[in-house]
Amino acid sequence: MTPFIKARRITLTFSPKNRPPVTALQDFSLDVAKGEFVSIVGPSGCGKSTFLNILLGLIKPDSGEIQLNGAPITGPSQERAMVFQEFGLLPWRTVKANVELGLELKGVPSNERSARASKLIELVGLRGFEQHYPHELSGGMKQRVGLARALATEPEVLLMDEPFAALDAQTRDLMQAELLQIWQRTQKTVVFVTHSIEEAAYLSDRVIVMTARPGRTKDILRIELPRPRDYEMRLTPEFNEIKSRVWGVLKEELSSRE
Amino acid sequence: MKVKRYYAEHRRLVLGLLSVISFIVGWEFLLTYVFPLNPFFLTKPSLVAVAFNEQVIRGALWRDLAVSSRAFLWGFSFAVLLGIPIGALMGWRRRVEYTFDAFFTALYASPLVALAPLIIVVFGVGLLAKSALVFLLSVFPFIFNTFAGVRSTDRLLINVVRSFGGTEKDLYFKVIFPSTLPYIVAGARIALGRGLVGIIVGEFYAASEGIGFAISRFGDTYRLPEMFAAILVLMIAAVILTEGLRKLEMLLAPWRSTLETR
Repeated sequence: MTPFIKARRITLTFSPKNRPPVTALQDFSLDVAKGEFVSIVGPSGCGKSTFLNILLGLIKPDSGEIQLNGAPITGPSQERAMVFQEFGLLPWRTVKANVELGLELKGVPSNERSARASKLIELVGLRGFEQHYPHELSGGMKQRVGLARALATEPEVLLMDEPFAALDAQTRDLMQAELLQIWQRTQKTVVFVTHSIEEAAYLSDRVIVMTARPGRTKDILRIELPRPRDYEMRLTPEFNEIKSRVWGVLKEELSSRE
Repeated sequence: MKVKRYYAEHRRLVLGLLSVISFIVGWEFLLTYVFPLNPFFLTKPSLVAVAFNEQVIRGALWRDLAVSSRAFLWGFSFAVLLGIPIGALMGWRRRVEYTFDAFFTALYASPLVALAPLIIVVFGVGLLAKSALVFLLSVFPFIFNTFAGVRSTDRLLINVVRSFGGTEKDLYFKVIFPSTLPYIVAGARIALGRGLVGIIVGEFYAASEGIGFAISRFGDTYRLPEMFAAILVLMIAAVILTEGLRKLEMLLAPWRSTLETR
């Protein structure tokens, strides 16, 4: 069976002006099954965000193969949507207009856009805030808008680039729990990049640990915890054992650098 | 208590009015009781008010204002119509930026009113010369602010729109233009002040009508109350235009309305 997302020997080197070239990814390979929740952790600058941007179609790798559902990824497409770390909301648009962005770019008629946006705003718990502007929202609410916007185009793959990194600890816990609920309801395939081992372990079916730059796969850990998962589960010895296993793998990469 | 609460709620208005009124009353008081008034060199608010009233009733000042406005409108409109596209092109294409930046910066930094005599020689006395001077003075804020706005467009937002399959046209209309708009309006406020200087200087040099001409004629003939009345008309027009732009900014950029922009 061919995997849903298939990345083979992806290599990408950035060549910034007046600076030595940087190899962000080196022969990085990854398979993701349909409906799977996969997290990528790794040291800063290991190319995990770069990989998401390649999956999104915004960056082309120098070499390697990248496919979704058997077809090569050549550019952005609405079958993949990204939730950005810094939210990326258009400040001149209301919550509703932000959620409608993808549909608008696709040419969906306005009454249908409006109906779908309302449904998603409800799903992420922002009913009543449709006409608010982003600057009137808290960080957590902004990221809910980001999530609703990504889901609005009904993508098959949800790409999340440290989506909760800019939030405070409690909001973060809350958003993780809600993301799991939404994931369970919508059955999306999720590729989630994070710095937090705890977050990766709590959310994912598998955690990919990347090496320091140039990034390649260091290890893949399957998280054998029952679903649905709840907050209490994070207090169990099993969960802590998983965390320390991930940490054990990641630690070698961090210490080899500093 | 009531007075206190009113003050707390309308501090801005109260203090602003107070300073204007104190200035006028102080001026009147000084020239009535402290120094004897020599009407050749000085005047006082009460006399200005009388002159203003007379001029307004006779309608002369409004006619002058209308004459000046026409030139201003022509010059300013051309500044908008040319300045914004030029600035946008400079923002989008490095080539265009590098070509024009040094040249425009030199022109923007120089006191271009110095060119007024030349412009009048070339375009003659009248509407065309004045419009050209207004244009020359007010086009650069539009160019540079549009340029800065386009250049400071958030890359993240560009990537967001691209990631949802947005075309280049979508980038221009859904990201770059809306994010540049507040810069343009801010530029318009600077351009407004410079354009007013342009019209007045133009009319100082060579004109037979217009607000600037009225100011210089009354000044030359020692009719100071009338001169100040003309200046007052100019001030009122300038305040109305500036406030209008502020309102326009709030209308065009409601997401910024909670930020204090001045």
